[in-house]
Amino acid sequence: MAADDAGRMVPHARASPVDGRRATLPAVTARSEVPTSFRSSSVRPGPLALIRLGVSETLSRRRLIAYLVRADLKKTGADTLLGNVWWVVDPLLQMLVYWLLVGVILNRGASTPDYPLFIFAAILPWKWFESTIKDGAQAVVSQERLIKQIYFPKLVLPLAASMSGIVNFAFGMVPLFALILLVYPERLSAWLLLIPVIAVVQLVFSTGLGILVSAMNVFYRDIGNLSRHLLRFWFYLSPALYGVDQVDKLAGKHEVIGIWFTLNPWTYIFNSYRDVIYYGRAPEWSALAVIAGVSLVILAASIWCFKRVEPTFAKVL
Amino acid sequence: MSIDPDGATAINVRDLGVRYSLRLTKKQTVKASVVRRMKRQGETSFWALRGVSFTVKQGESLGIIGPNGAGKSTLLQVLAGIITPSEGFVEVDGHVSSLLTLGVGFDQELSGTDNIRLAGAFMGLDHKLVEEKLPGIVSYADLGDFIDAPLKTYSSGMRARLGFAIATAVEPDILILDEVLSTGDAAFRTKSKERLGELVEEAKAIVLVTHDMGWVTEYCNRAMLIEKGHIVVEGSPEDVVAEHQERSARRREEQLAAGVFAQAKPPPARVTR
Repeated sequence: MAADDAGRMVPHARASPVDGRRATLPAVTARSEVPTSFRSSSVRPGPLALIRLGVSETLSRRRLIAYLVRADLKKTGADTLLGNVWWVVDPLLQMLVYWLLVGVILNRGASTPDYPLFIFAAILPWKWFESTIKDGAQAVVSQERLIKQIYFPKLVLPLAASMSGIVNFAFGMVPLFALILLVYPERLSAWLLLIPVIAVVQLVFSTGLGILVSAMNVFYRDIGNLSRHLLRFWFYLSPALYGVDQVDKLAGKHEVIGIWFTLNPWTYIFNSYRDVIYYGRAPEWSALAVIAGVSLVILAASIWCFKRVEPTFAKVL
Repeated sequence: MSIDPDGATAINVRDLGVRYSLRLTKKQTVKASVVRRMKRQGETSFWALRGVSFTVKQGESLGIIGPNGAGKSTLLQVLAGIITPSEGFVEVDGHVSSLLTLGVGFDQELSGTDNIRLAGAFMGLDHKLVEEKLPGIVSYADLGDFIDAPLKTYSSGMRARLGFAIATAVEPDILILDEVLSTGDAAFRTKSKERLGELVEEAKAIVLVTHDMGWVTEYCNRAMLIEKGHIVVEGSPEDVVAEHQERSARRREEQLAAGVFAQAKPPPARVTR
Protein backbone atom coordinates (compact mmCIF):
# COMPACT_ATOMS: atom_id res chain seq x y z
CA MET A 1 0.00 0.00 0.00
CA ALA A 2 2.73 2.42 0.92
CA ALA A 3 4.75 1.36 -2.11
CA ASP A 4 1.69 1.80 -4.22
CA ASP A 5 1.28 5.33 -2.98
CA ALA A 6 4.88 6.14 -3.55
CA GLY A 7 4.69 4.68 -7.02
CA ARG A 8 1.71 6.79 -7.91
CA MET A 9 3.07 9.96 -6.50
CA VAL A 10 4.02 11.51 -9.82
CA PRO A 11 0.61 11.22 -11.46
CA HIS A 12 -0.79 12.52 -8.18
CA ALA A 13 1.26 15.64 -8.54
CA ARG A 14 -0.82 16.57 -11.54
CA ALA A 15 -4.10 15.87 -9.87
CA SER A 16 -4.82 18.93 -7.80
CA PRO A 17 -6.74 19.15 -4.56
CA VAL A 18 -9.33 20.68 -6.75
CA ASP A 19 -9.58 17.65 -8.97
CA GLY A 20 -9.74 15.48 -5.92
CA ARG A 21 -12.68 17.35 -4.56
CA ARG A 22 -14.44 17.49 -7.86
CA ALA A 23 -13.83 13.89 -8.71
CA THR A 24 -15.94 12.90 -5.74
CA LEU A 25 -18.84 15.20 -6.53
CA PRO A 26 -21.17 12.48 -7.79
CA ALA A 27 -20.52 10.53 -4.61
CA VAL A 28 -21.87 13.27 -2.35
CA THR A 29 -23.77 11.56 0.39
CA ALA A 30 -27.24 12.41 1.53
CA ARG A 31 -25.90 14.12 4.60
CA SER A 32 -23.55 16.47 2.93
CA GLU A 33 -23.88 19.12 0.26
CA VAL A 34 -20.19 19.02 -0.41
CA PRO A 35 -17.87 16.23 -1.51
CA THR A 36 -16.67 14.19 1.42
CA SER A 37 -13.35 12.65 0.56
CA PHE A 38 -10.64 14.95 -0.62
CA ARG A 39 -7.04 15.17 -1.61
CA SER A 40 -5.01 18.16 -0.67
CA SER A 41 -1.59 18.85 -2.10
CA SER A 42 0.76 21.70 -2.85
CA VAL A 43 -0.09 21.67 -6.54
CA ARG A 44 -2.27 24.58 -7.63
CA PRO A 45 -4.45 24.33 -10.72
CA GLY A 46 -4.31 26.81 -13.58
CA PRO A 47 -6.38 30.00 -13.87
CA LEU A 48 -9.27 28.50 -15.83
CA ALA A 49 -9.56 25.50 -13.53
CA LEU A 50 -9.54 27.85 -10.53
CA ILE A 51 -12.31 30.01 -11.97
CA ARG A 52 -14.37 26.94 -12.82
CA LEU A 53 -13.84 25.59 -9.32
CA GLY A 54 -14.79 28.93 -7.79
CA VAL A 55 -18.06 28.99 -9.71
CA SER A 56 -18.94 25.36 -9.02
CA GLU A 57 -18.22 25.47 -5.29
CA THR A 58 -20.21 28.68 -4.98
CA LEU A 59 -23.17 27.11 -6.73
CA SER A 60 -23.01 24.08 -4.46
CA ARG A 61 -23.12 26.39 -1.44
CA ARG A 62 -26.14 28.42 -2.50
CA ARG A 63 -27.89 27.69 0.75
CA LEU A 64 -25.01 28.94 2.84
CA ILE A 65 -25.04 32.21 0.90
CA ALA A 66 -28.79 32.45 1.43
CA TYR A 67 -28.37 31.92 5.18
CA LEU A 68 -25.60 34.50 5.36
CA VAL A 69 -27.72 37.03 3.51
CA ARG A 70 -30.69 36.35 5.75
CA ALA A 71 -28.50 36.70 8.83
CA ASP A 72 -27.17 39.99 7.52
CA LEU A 73 -30.66 41.30 6.82
CA LYS A 74 -31.89 40.25 10.23
CA LYS A 75 -29.01 42.08 11.80
CA THR A 76 -29.46 45.35 9.95
CA GLY A 77 -33.04 45.41 11.13
CA ALA A 78 -32.30 44.30 14.67
CA ASP A 79 -31.87 46.74 17.54
CA THR A 80 -33.51 49.63 15.73
CA LEU A 81 -36.93 50.99 16.45
CA LEU A 82 -38.00 51.17 12.84
CA GLY A 83 -36.32 47.89 11.94
CA ASN A 84 -36.46 47.16 8.26
CA VAL A 85 -38.27 50.41 7.54
CA TRP A 86 -34.79 51.91 7.51
CA TRP A 87 -34.07 50.23 4.21
CA VAL A 88 -36.79 52.39 2.71
CA VAL A 89 -36.13 55.57 4.67
CA ASP A 90 -32.34 55.51 4.36
CA PRO A 91 -31.98 56.36 0.67
CA LEU A 92 -34.75 58.96 0.97
CA LEU A 93 -32.90 60.76 3.76
CA GLN A 94 -29.68 60.63 1.80
CA MET A 95 -31.46 62.08 -1.19
CA LEU A 96 -32.86 64.81 1.05
CA VAL A 97 -29.37 65.78 2.23
CA TYR A 98 -27.98 66.09 -1.28
CA TRP A 99 -31.08 67.88 -2.48
CA LEU A 100 -30.78 70.45 0.32
CA LEU A 101 -27.05 70.89 -0.18
CA VAL A 102 -26.73 70.87 -3.94
CA GLY A 103 -30.22 71.71 -5.06
CA VAL A 104 -31.22 74.36 -2.52
CA ILE A 105 -28.14 75.83 -0.83
CA LEU A 106 -25.74 75.75 -3.76
CA ASN A 107 -28.75 76.25 -6.03
CA ARG A 108 -27.32 73.96 -8.68
CA GLY A 109 -30.46 71.92 -9.10
CA ALA A 110 -32.41 74.78 -10.63
CA SER A 111 -31.23 73.92 -14.12
CA THR A 112 -32.35 70.32 -13.64
CA PRO A 113 -36.09 69.81 -13.37
CA ASP A 114 -37.27 67.29 -10.76
CA TYR A 115 -33.79 67.30 -9.23
CA PRO A 116 -34.74 64.98 -6.29
CA LEU A 117 -35.66 62.18 -8.68
CA PHE A 118 -32.61 62.98 -10.79
CA ILE A 119 -30.25 62.27 -7.89
CA PHE A 120 -32.37 59.51 -6.38
CA ALA A 121 -31.88 57.47 -9.55
CA ALA A 122 -28.14 57.55 -8.80
CA ILE A 123 -28.20 57.29 -5.00
CA LEU A 124 -30.05 53.96 -5.00
CA PRO A 125 -27.57 51.98 -7.12
CA TRP A 126 -24.62 53.71 -5.47
CA LYS A 127 -25.74 52.68 -1.98
CA TRP A 128 -25.81 49.10 -3.18
CA PHE A 129 -22.35 49.38 -4.72
CA GLU A 130 -20.98 51.06 -1.62
CA SER A 131 -22.28 48.34 0.72
CA THR A 132 -20.95 45.59 -1.55
CA ILE A 133 -17.44 47.05 -1.40
CA LYS A 134 -17.52 48.04 2.28
CA ASP A 135 -19.02 44.75 3.47
CA GLY A 136 -16.87 42.86 1.00
CA ALA A 137 -13.72 44.34 2.52
CA GLN A 138 -14.76 43.00 5.93
CA ALA A 139 -16.35 39.78 4.66
CA VAL A 140 -13.30 37.53 4.90
CA VAL A 141 -11.39 39.13 7.77
CA SER A 142 -14.43 39.19 10.03
CA GLN A 143 -14.79 35.40 9.71
CA GLU A 144 -11.23 34.80 10.84
CA ARG A 145 -12.19 32.32 13.57
CA LEU A 146 -14.36 30.28 11.27
CA ILE A 147 -11.78 30.13 8.50
CA LYS A 148 -9.29 28.62 10.93
CA GLN A 149 -11.77 26.06 12.19
CA ILE A 150 -13.53 24.49 9.24
CA TYR A 151 -13.12 24.14 5.54
CA PHE A 152 -15.59 25.99 3.35
CA PRO A 153 -15.24 27.92 0.11
CA LYS A 154 -14.37 31.42 1.23
CA LEU A 155 -15.86 32.90 -1.94
CA VAL A 156 -19.30 32.67 -0.34
CA LEU A 157 -18.35 35.49 2.05
CA PRO A 158 -17.93 38.40 -0.41
CA LEU A 159 -20.75 36.94 -2.50
CA ALA A 160 -23.10 37.08 0.46
CA ALA A 161 -22.15 40.73 0.96
CA SER A 162 -23.00 41.38 -2.67
CA MET A 163 -26.30 39.52 -2.42
CA SER A 164 -27.53 41.38 0.65
CA GLY A 165 -26.83 44.53 -1.34
CA ILE A 166 -29.33 43.40 -3.97
CA VAL A 167 -32.02 42.90 -1.37
CA ASN A 168 -31.43 46.42 -0.08
CA PHE A 169 -31.57 47.69 -3.64
CA ALA A 170 -34.84 45.85 -4.20
CA PHE A 171 -36.29 47.49 -1.11
CA GLY A 172 -35.10 50.80 -2.50
CA MET A 173 -37.60 50.30 -5.31
CA VAL A 174 -40.37 51.06 -2.82
CA PRO A 175 -39.38 54.70 -2.18
CA LEU A 176 -38.43 55.08 -5.84
CA PHE A 177 -41.84 54.08 -7.10
CA ALA A 178 -43.53 56.02 -4.32
CA LEU A 179 -41.58 59.11 -5.34
CA ILE A 180 -42.50 58.68 -9.01
CA LEU A 181 -46.17 57.88 -8.43
CA LEU A 182 -46.83 60.52 -5.78
CA VAL A 183 -44.61 63.41 -6.84
CA TYR A 184 -43.61 62.91 -10.46
CA PRO A 185 -46.37 60.81 -12.07
CA GLU A 186 -45.49 62.23 -15.48
CA ARG A 187 -42.11 60.43 -15.24
CA LEU A 188 -43.77 57.00 -15.05
CA SER A 189 -42.85 54.91 -18.08
CA ALA A 190 -42.51 51.33 -19.21
CA TRP A 191 -38.74 51.82 -19.37
CA LEU A 192 -38.68 51.43 -15.58
CA LEU A 193 -39.08 47.70 -16.21
CA LEU A 194 -35.50 47.70 -17.52
CA ILE A 195 -34.05 48.50 -14.08
CA PRO A 196 -33.34 44.78 -13.42
CA VAL A 197 -31.32 44.53 -16.64
CA ILE A 198 -29.04 47.37 -15.58
CA ALA A 199 -28.95 45.92 -12.07
CA VAL A 200 -27.58 42.64 -13.43
CA VAL A 201 -24.72 44.49 -15.11
CA GLN A 202 -24.03 46.35 -11.89
CA LEU A 203 -24.21 43.09 -9.95
CA VAL A 204 -21.47 41.52 -12.05
CA PHE A 205 -19.33 44.67 -11.83
CA SER A 206 -19.66 45.20 -8.08
CA THR A 207 -19.36 41.51 -7.20
CA GLY A 208 -16.08 41.33 -9.08
CA LEU A 209 -14.68 44.31 -7.23
CA GLY A 210 -16.10 43.09 -3.91
CA ILE A 211 -14.35 39.74 -4.26
CA LEU A 212 -11.07 41.46 -5.09
CA VAL A 213 -11.30 43.85 -2.13
CA SER A 214 -12.23 41.06 0.28
CA ALA A 215 -9.10 39.10 -0.63
CA MET A 216 -6.76 42.10 -0.59
CA ASN A 217 -7.99 43.21 2.81
CA VAL A 218 -6.72 39.95 4.30
CA PHE A 219 -3.15 40.91 3.48
CA TYR A 220 -3.36 44.67 3.75
CA ARG A 221 -5.87 45.83 6.29
CA ASP A 222 -5.51 49.39 5.00
CA ILE A 223 -7.64 48.40 2.01
CA GLY A 224 -10.76 48.70 4.13
CA ASN A 225 -9.95 52.27 5.16
CA LEU A 226 -8.66 53.23 1.77
CA SER A 227 -11.73 51.92 -0.02
CA ARG A 228 -13.99 54.11 2.10
CA HIS A 229 -12.24 57.24 0.86
CA LEU A 230 -11.88 55.99 -2.68
CA LEU A 231 -15.59 55.28 -2.76
CA ARG A 232 -16.36 58.84 -1.74
CA PHE A 233 -14.05 60.23 -4.44
CA TRP A 234 -15.58 57.89 -6.95
CA PHE A 235 -19.11 58.98 -6.11
CA TYR A 236 -18.41 62.68 -6.42
CA LEU A 237 -16.34 62.15 -9.55
CA SER A 238 -19.18 60.30 -11.25
CA PRO A 239 -22.25 61.92 -12.74
CA ALA A 240 -24.47 61.19 -9.75
CA LEU A 241 -25.33 64.65 -8.42
CA TYR A 242 -24.83 66.29 -11.79
CA GLY A 243 -25.51 65.29 -15.36
CA VAL A 244 -23.21 64.51 -18.26
CA ASP A 245 -23.88 67.99 -19.67
CA GLN A 246 -21.86 69.44 -16.77
CA VAL A 247 -19.09 66.98 -17.51
CA ASP A 248 -19.02 67.93 -21.18
CA LYS A 249 -18.64 71.61 -20.27
CA LEU A 250 -15.64 70.87 -18.02
CA ALA A 251 -14.13 68.33 -20.37
CA GLY A 252 -13.84 71.04 -23.00
CA LYS A 253 -11.48 72.91 -20.70
CA HIS A 254 -9.57 70.03 -19.12
CA GLU A 255 -8.82 66.99 -21.19
CA VAL A 256 -8.10 64.84 -18.13
CA ILE A 257 -11.66 65.22 -16.92
CA GLY A 258 -12.98 64.04 -20.24
CA ILE A 259 -10.74 60.96 -20.16
CA TRP A 260 -11.72 60.08 -16.61
CA PHE A 261 -15.43 60.27 -17.27
CA THR A 262 -15.03 58.29 -20.48
CA LEU A 263 -13.20 55.48 -18.67
CA ASN A 264 -15.32 55.57 -15.51
CA PRO A 265 -17.81 52.67 -15.62
CA TRP A 266 -20.11 54.57 -13.30
CA THR A 267 -20.64 57.24 -15.94
CA TYR A 268 -22.41 54.64 -18.02
CA ILE A 269 -24.15 52.83 -15.18
CA PHE A 270 -25.55 56.08 -13.76
CA ASN A 271 -26.56 57.22 -17.22
CA SER A 272 -28.37 53.96 -17.88
CA TYR A 273 -30.31 54.12 -14.63
CA ARG A 274 -31.13 57.74 -15.27
CA ASP A 275 -32.29 57.01 -18.80
CA VAL A 276 -34.88 54.49 -17.70
CA ILE A 277 -35.90 56.14 -14.40
CA TYR A 278 -35.67 59.88 -15.04
CA TYR A 279 -35.76 60.43 -18.78
CA GLY A 280 -38.04 57.50 -19.55
CA ARG A 281 -36.03 56.41 -22.56
CA ALA A 282 -33.91 53.50 -23.72
CA PRO A 283 -30.46 53.24 -22.18
CA GLU A 284 -27.39 53.40 -24.36
CA TRP A 285 -27.25 49.72 -25.18
CA SER A 286 -23.76 49.69 -26.67
CA ALA A 287 -22.23 51.36 -23.60
CA LEU A 288 -24.10 48.98 -21.31
CA ALA A 289 -22.88 46.00 -23.33
CA VAL A 290 -19.27 47.18 -23.04
CA ILE A 291 -19.64 47.63 -19.29
CA ALA A 292 -21.17 44.16 -19.03
CA GLY A 293 -18.23 42.68 -20.94
CA VAL A 294 -15.63 44.50 -18.86
CA SER A 295 -17.44 43.49 -15.68
CA LEU A 296 -17.39 39.83 -16.66
CA VAL A 297 -13.64 40.03 -17.24
CA ILE A 298 -13.18 41.76 -13.86
CA LEU A 299 -15.32 39.11 -12.17
CA ALA A 300 -13.38 36.24 -13.71
CA ALA A 301 -10.06 37.85 -12.84
CA SER A 302 -11.22 38.49 -9.27
CA ILE A 303 -12.34 34.91 -8.79
CA TRP A 304 -8.98 33.76 -10.07
CA CYS A 305 -7.06 36.09 -7.73
CA PHE A 306 -9.26 35.10 -4.82
CA LYS A 307 -8.82 31.38 -5.43
CA ARG A 308 -5.08 31.86 -5.84
CA VAL A 309 -4.64 33.39 -2.39
CA GLU A 310 -7.48 31.51 -0.66
CA PRO A 311 -5.23 28.69 0.65
CA THR A 312 -3.17 31.19 2.62
CA PHE A 313 -6.14 32.81 4.38
CA ALA A 314 -6.09 30.36 7.27
CA LYS A 315 -2.39 31.04 7.79
CA VAL A 316 -2.37 34.80 7.41
CA LEU A 317 -5.50 35.68 9.37
CA MET B 1 -9.53 8.89 -5.72
CA SER B 2 -6.21 7.34 -5.26
CA ILE B 3 -6.96 5.93 -1.85
CA ASP B 4 -6.93 2.20 -2.25
CA PRO B 5 -10.24 0.71 -3.33
CA ASP B 6 -10.67 -1.72 -0.46
CA GLY B 7 -11.14 1.34 1.77
CA ALA B 8 -8.64 0.24 4.36
CA THR B 9 -6.85 3.58 4.52
CA ALA B 10 -8.75 6.51 5.94
CA ILE B 11 -5.98 9.08 5.96
CA ASN B 12 -2.83 9.04 3.91
CA VAL B 13 -0.18 11.71 4.50
CA ARG B 14 2.98 11.78 2.40
CA ASP B 15 5.99 14.10 2.79
CA LEU B 16 3.72 16.78 4.15
CA GLY B 17 5.25 20.19 4.67
CA VAL B 18 3.49 23.36 5.76
CA ARG B 19 5.30 26.64 5.49
CA TYR B 20 4.24 29.90 7.05
CA SER B 21 5.42 33.06 5.44
CA LEU B 22 6.79 35.51 7.97
CA ARG B 23 6.33 38.47 5.69
CA LEU B 24 2.60 37.96 5.50
CA THR B 25 1.97 36.99 9.07
CA LYS B 26 4.33 39.19 11.03
CA LYS B 27 1.64 41.70 12.00
CA GLN B 28 -0.76 39.02 13.04
CA THR B 29 -0.56 36.88 16.11
CA VAL B 30 -0.21 33.58 14.34
CA LYS B 31 1.59 31.83 17.09
CA ALA B 32 3.98 33.55 19.41
CA SER B 33 6.32 30.60 19.54
CA VAL B 34 6.45 30.30 15.78
CA VAL B 35 7.25 33.96 15.37
CA ARG B 36 9.93 33.83 18.05
CA ARG B 37 11.66 30.98 16.37
CA MET B 38 11.46 32.61 13.00
CA LYS B 39 13.00 35.82 14.26
CA ARG B 40 15.88 34.00 15.80
CA GLN B 41 16.70 32.36 12.52
CA GLY B 42 16.18 35.59 10.65
CA GLU B 43 14.27 33.79 7.93
CA THR B 44 11.26 34.90 5.99
CA SER B 45 9.45 31.62 6.27
CA PHE B 46 8.97 28.91 8.80
CA TRP B 47 8.18 25.24 8.33
CA ALA B 48 5.51 24.34 10.87
CA LEU B 49 5.61 20.79 9.52
CA ARG B 50 8.17 19.08 7.33
CA GLY B 51 8.55 15.60 5.92
CA VAL B 52 5.57 14.18 7.76
CA SER B 53 4.30 10.86 6.43
CA PHE B 54 1.84 8.48 8.03
CA THR B 55 -1.37 6.61 7.36
CA VAL B 56 -4.40 6.00 9.47
CA LYS B 57 -6.32 2.85 8.65
CA GLN B 58 -10.03 2.42 9.03
CA GLY B 59 -10.86 1.51 12.59
CA GLU B 60 -7.67 3.04 13.90
CA SER B 61 -7.44 5.80 16.42
CA LEU B 62 -4.30 7.90 16.34
CA GLY B 63 -3.24 10.14 19.19
CA ILE B 64 -0.88 12.99 18.44
CA ILE B 65 1.15 14.44 21.27
CA GLY B 66 3.98 16.86 21.55
CA PRO B 67 5.06 20.10 23.20
CA ASN B 68 3.38 23.42 22.43
CA GLY B 69 4.21 24.78 19.01
CA ALA B 70 5.25 21.39 17.69
CA GLY B 71 2.82 21.61 14.77
CA LYS B 72 0.05 19.42 16.12
CA SER B 73 -2.73 21.87 15.47
CA THR B 74 -1.35 22.71 12.05
CA LEU B 75 -1.42 19.03 11.22
CA LEU B 76 -5.07 18.78 12.24
CA GLN B 77 -5.89 21.85 10.19
CA VAL B 78 -4.34 20.18 7.15
CA LEU B 79 -6.30 16.98 7.80
CA ALA B 80 -9.49 19.00 8.05
CA GLY B 81 -8.75 20.70 4.72
CA ILE B 82 -8.41 24.13 6.29
CA ILE B 83 -4.77 24.55 5.33
CA THR B 84 -3.36 23.27 2.07
CA PRO B 85 0.10 21.69 2.13
CA SER B 86 3.13 23.61 0.94
CA GLU B 87 4.65 20.32 -0.17
CA GLY B 88 3.56 16.72 -0.27
CA PHE B 89 -0.07 15.70 -0.05
CA VAL B 90 -2.85 14.55 2.19
CA GLU B 91 -5.62 12.16 1.20
CA VAL B 92 -8.70 11.77 3.31
CA ASP B 93 -11.32 9.16 2.51
CA GLY B 94 -14.62 9.95 4.13
CA HIS B 95 -16.62 12.72 5.70
CA VAL B 96 -14.36 14.60 8.11
CA SER B 97 -15.67 16.34 11.16
CA SER B 98 -13.16 18.54 12.84
CA LEU B 99 -13.89 19.53 16.39
CA LEU B 100 -11.01 21.92 16.41
CA THR B 101 -12.79 24.57 18.37
CA LEU B 102 -16.40 24.87 19.35
CA GLY B 103 -18.67 27.63 18.23
CA VAL B 104 -18.37 27.36 14.49
CA GLY B 105 -20.38 29.93 12.58
CA PHE B 106 -21.72 31.61 15.66
CA ASP B 107 -23.42 34.90 15.03
CA GLN B 108 -24.21 37.09 18.01
CA GLU B 109 -27.40 38.60 16.61
CA LEU B 110 -29.02 35.36 15.56
CA SER B 111 -31.08 33.01 17.69
CA GLY B 112 -29.79 29.62 18.78
CA THR B 113 -31.90 27.86 16.16
CA ASP B 114 -30.67 30.12 13.38
CA ASN B 115 -27.12 29.57 14.55
CA ILE B 116 -27.58 25.83 14.28
CA ARG B 117 -28.81 26.24 10.70
CA LEU B 118 -25.94 28.60 9.84
CA ALA B 119 -23.35 26.30 11.35
CA GLY B 120 -24.81 23.35 9.45
CA ALA B 121 -24.57 25.30 6.21
CA PHE B 122 -20.98 26.26 6.95
CA MET B 123 -20.11 22.65 7.64
CA GLY B 124 -21.68 21.72 4.33
CA LEU B 125 -24.37 19.55 5.87
CA ASP B 126 -27.44 18.84 3.85
CA HIS B 127 -30.33 21.16 4.65
CA LYS B 128 -32.77 18.31 5.26
CA LEU B 129 -30.35 16.62 7.61
CA VAL B 130 -29.93 19.79 9.63
CA GLU B 131 -33.70 20.22 9.95
CA GLU B 132 -33.94 16.57 10.96
CA LYS B 133 -31.25 16.94 13.60
CA LEU B 134 -32.46 20.30 14.85
CA PRO B 135 -34.77 19.09 17.64
CA GLY B 136 -32.08 16.71 18.86
CA ILE B 137 -29.46 19.44 18.97
CA VAL B 138 -31.83 21.81 20.72
CA SER B 139 -32.71 19.33 23.43
CA TYR B 140 -29.11 18.22 23.85
CA ALA B 141 -27.90 21.80 24.30
CA ASP B 142 -30.58 22.13 26.97
CA LEU B 143 -31.08 25.86 26.59
CA GLY B 144 -34.79 26.07 27.33
CA ASP B 145 -36.47 29.21 25.99
CA PHE B 146 -33.08 30.75 25.24
CA ILE B 147 -32.94 28.79 22.00
CA ASP B 148 -35.03 31.52 20.35
CA ALA B 149 -33.11 34.40 21.93
CA PRO B 150 -30.14 36.06 20.23
CA LEU B 151 -26.82 34.44 21.03
CA LYS B 152 -25.48 37.60 22.68
CA THR B 153 -27.80 36.94 25.62
CA TYR B 154 -26.19 33.55 26.30
CA SER B 155 -23.80 32.78 29.09
CA SER B 156 -20.46 31.28 28.13
CA GLY B 157 -21.57 27.88 29.43
CA MET B 158 -24.68 27.98 27.27
CA ARG B 159 -22.57 28.90 24.29
CA ALA B 160 -20.24 26.01 24.94
CA ARG B 161 -23.17 23.60 25.23
CA LEU B 162 -24.69 24.82 21.97
CA GLY B 163 -21.32 24.66 20.23
CA PHE B 164 -20.68 21.15 21.40
CA ALA B 165 -24.18 20.02 20.45
CA ILE B 166 -23.77 21.40 16.92
CA ALA B 167 -20.26 20.08 16.43
CA THR B 168 -21.13 16.56 17.49
CA ALA B 169 -24.59 16.34 15.93
CA VAL B 170 -23.44 14.41 12.89
CA GLU B 171 -21.46 11.21 13.11
CA PRO B 172 -18.44 11.64 10.87
CA ASP B 173 -16.45 8.91 9.16
CA ILE B 174 -13.26 10.53 10.33
CA LEU B 175 -13.21 12.39 13.58
CA ILE B 176 -10.57 15.00 14.26
CA LEU B 177 -10.38 16.19 17.84
CA ASP B 178 -8.32 18.95 19.38
CA GLU B 179 -8.73 19.38 23.12
CA VAL B 180 -12.42 20.12 23.18
CA LEU B 181 -13.35 18.78 26.54
CA SER B 182 -12.29 21.76 28.60
CA THR B 183 -15.62 23.58 28.28
CA GLY B 184 -18.79 23.85 30.28
CA ASP B 185 -19.58 22.94 33.85
CA ALA B 186 -18.87 19.58 35.46
CA ALA B 187 -22.28 18.12 34.62
CA PHE B 188 -21.92 19.04 30.97
CA ARG B 189 -18.36 17.77 30.86
CA THR B 190 -19.56 14.34 31.87
CA LYS B 191 -22.33 14.50 29.30
CA SER B 192 -19.97 15.67 26.57
CA LYS B 193 -17.43 13.02 27.39
CA GLU B 194 -20.14 10.41 26.96
CA ARG B 195 -21.08 11.82 23.59
CA LEU B 196 -17.46 11.91 22.50
CA GLY B 197 -17.18 8.29 23.53
CA GLU B 198 -20.11 7.49 21.25
CA LEU B 199 -18.53 9.35 18.35
CA VAL B 200 -15.26 7.59 18.93
CA GLU B 201 -17.08 4.26 18.77
CA GLU B 202 -18.90 5.14 15.57
CA ALA B 203 -16.15 6.88 13.67
CA LYS B 204 -14.17 4.84 11.19
CA ALA B 205 -10.99 6.64 12.10
CA ILE B 206 -9.96 9.13 14.74
CA VAL B 207 -7.13 11.59 15.02
CA LEU B 208 -6.83 13.14 18.43
CA VAL B 209 -4.58 15.91 19.66
CA THR B 210 -4.41 16.29 23.39
CA HIS B 211 -2.23 17.07 26.33
CA ASP B 212 -4.24 14.62 28.36
CA MET B 213 -2.13 11.47 28.29
CA GLY B 214 -5.01 9.53 29.82
CA TRP B 215 -7.02 10.09 26.66
CA VAL B 216 -4.21 8.83 24.50
CA THR B 217 -3.78 5.58 26.37
CA GLU B 218 -7.51 5.12 26.85
CA TYR B 219 -8.87 5.88 23.39
CA CYS B 220 -6.00 5.48 20.96
CA ASN B 221 -4.50 2.30 19.61
CA ARG B 222 -1.56 4.18 18.11
CA ALA B 223 0.25 7.35 19.01
CA MET B 224 2.67 9.76 17.42
CA LEU B 225 5.03 12.24 19.02
CA ILE B 226 5.71 15.44 17.08
CA GLU B 227 8.42 17.92 17.91
CA LYS B 228 9.38 20.97 15.86
CA GLY B 229 7.31 19.85 12.90
CA HIS B 230 8.80 16.38 12.62
CA ILE B 231 7.60 12.99 13.73
CA VAL B 232 9.90 11.86 16.53
CA VAL B 233 8.42 8.48 17.28
CA GLU B 234 5.36 6.50 16.34
CA GLY B 235 4.05 3.39 17.99
CA SER B 236 1.93 2.04 20.79
CA PRO B 237 0.35 4.74 22.99
CA GLU B 238 2.17 3.60 26.12
CA ASP B 239 5.62 3.71 24.51
CA VAL B 240 5.06 7.07 22.86
CA VAL B 241 3.61 8.65 26.00
CA ALA B 242 6.58 7.35 28.00
CA GLU B 243 9.00 8.72 25.41
CA HIS B 244 7.22 12.08 25.44
CA GLN B 245 7.30 12.35 29.20
CA GLU B 246 10.94 11.40 29.31
CA ARG B 247 11.86 13.95 26.66
CA SER B 248 9.88 16.76 28.24
CA ALA B 249 11.39 16.02 31.62
CA ARG B 250 14.83 16.19 30.04
CA ARG B 251 13.93 19.46 28.33
CA ARG B 252 12.78 20.95 31.60
CA GLU B 253 16.02 19.98 33.25
CA GLU B 254 18.06 21.46 30.45
CA GLN B 255 16.10 24.67 30.65
CA LEU B 256 16.54 24.84 34.39
CA ALA B 257 20.22 24.13 34.00
CA ALA B 258 20.50 26.88 31.45
CA GLY B 259 18.77 29.21 33.87
CA VAL B 260 15.99 29.92 31.46
CA PHE B 261 12.48 30.27 32.68
CA ALA B 262 10.70 27.36 31.14
CA GLN B 263 8.73 29.39 28.63
CA ALA B 264 8.00 26.61 26.22
CA LYS B 265 7.45 24.15 28.98
CA PRO B 266 5.15 21.40 27.80
CA PRO B 267 2.17 21.13 30.06
CA PRO B 268 2.41 18.20 32.41
CA ALA B 269 0.27 15.21 31.69
CA ARG B 270 -3.13 15.96 33.11
CA VAL B 271 -4.99 13.55 35.28
CA THR B 272 -7.92 12.03 33.47
CA ARG B 273 -11.17 13.41 34.62
